[in-house]
Amino acid sequence: MPVLKLSEDWTPEGQLGLMLGLCEAQMDSALQESDQSIDALVAAFTSLVDTARAVSSLSEKLSSDVKAQLDPSFHEQIAAFQSQMASAVVAFQFYDKLSQRLGHVRYSLSTLAQFACSRTQMQQPEQWTRLHSTLRRLYRTQEEREVFQIVMEGDGSGFMHASPAPASTGNAKAGEVELF
Amino acid sequence: MSGAHQQTILAVDDSASMRQMVRFTLEGAGYKVVQASDGMEALEVARGASVDLVLTDVNMPRMDGISLVRELRSLDTYKFVPMLVLTTESGQETKMRGKQAGATGWIVKPFNPEQLLATISRVL
Repeated sequence: MPVLKLSEDWTPEGQLGLMLGLCEAQMDSALQESDQSIDALVAAFTSLVDTARAVSSLSEKLSSDVKAQLDPSFHEQIAAFQSQMASAVVAFQFYDKLSQRLGHVRYSLSTLAQFACSRTQMQQPEQWTRLHSTLRRLYRTQEEREVFQIVMEGDGSGFMHASPAPASTGNAKAGEVELF
Repeated sequence: MSGAHQQTILAVDDSASMRQMVRFTLEGAGYKVVQASDGMEALEVARGASVDLVLTDVNMPRMDGISLVRELRSLDTYKFVPMLVLTTESGQETKMRGKQAGATGWIVKPFNPEQLLATISRVL
């Protein structure tokens, strides 16, 4: 087994900060990569929708004689495409929500990495309470708040050992409209 | 949509993919869509164009959606223009801030295209 040489400024807090920084960097890299892919996917989807709309619009301009010669399933297929498009619009928005939530996780890791660098701070319960409040204020979605509640205010066993998802998974609030 | 006048909607969101989703949902229903990626840019666009409805996200860099609504409401031309907030935020506190700023309504993302169009028709 190789002999472990520790530098003079080696501390467990420093190592913890470094490892948390590594997690943040990995998440940042993965998010950037997926952002590029989703942008390409959205561009391709937009182009498909524009083409389908152009075909539909052209078909409306055809003379009644030509329309009569069209395959009867033509309009059904256009209608089916429009319905699938609506489902895709909803699905694409989940990526946006996912990247927002992962962005909050990234910020939490970065904040924790800075926090962990101070041994004095880590030994003060009130500093941990302040950190919890800071991170909680980040949350924008119902799901994030529920996960926080399960983990931080639950029985102490943590989310990994709890039910696989909070009660509102399935986006109970999604699409909710309130007019003032 | 009836009538010769094509109504213009200002869609504000810092996510390019969200703006795309909103754009082709609204354009498919016959609206003209102008876009901005944050509140500051939206203010500039709104000052330079005639907008019939504003659809804005909340959390954006430079100027958030609630501040945007407040700023627009202070302009004579936007006193009575419907302003809908489209956001992942579902907390009552933020919603109340939006209402106090002058928002017309609140829609929680992800939106369903048909539902969004029905809501827009109701307020326009």
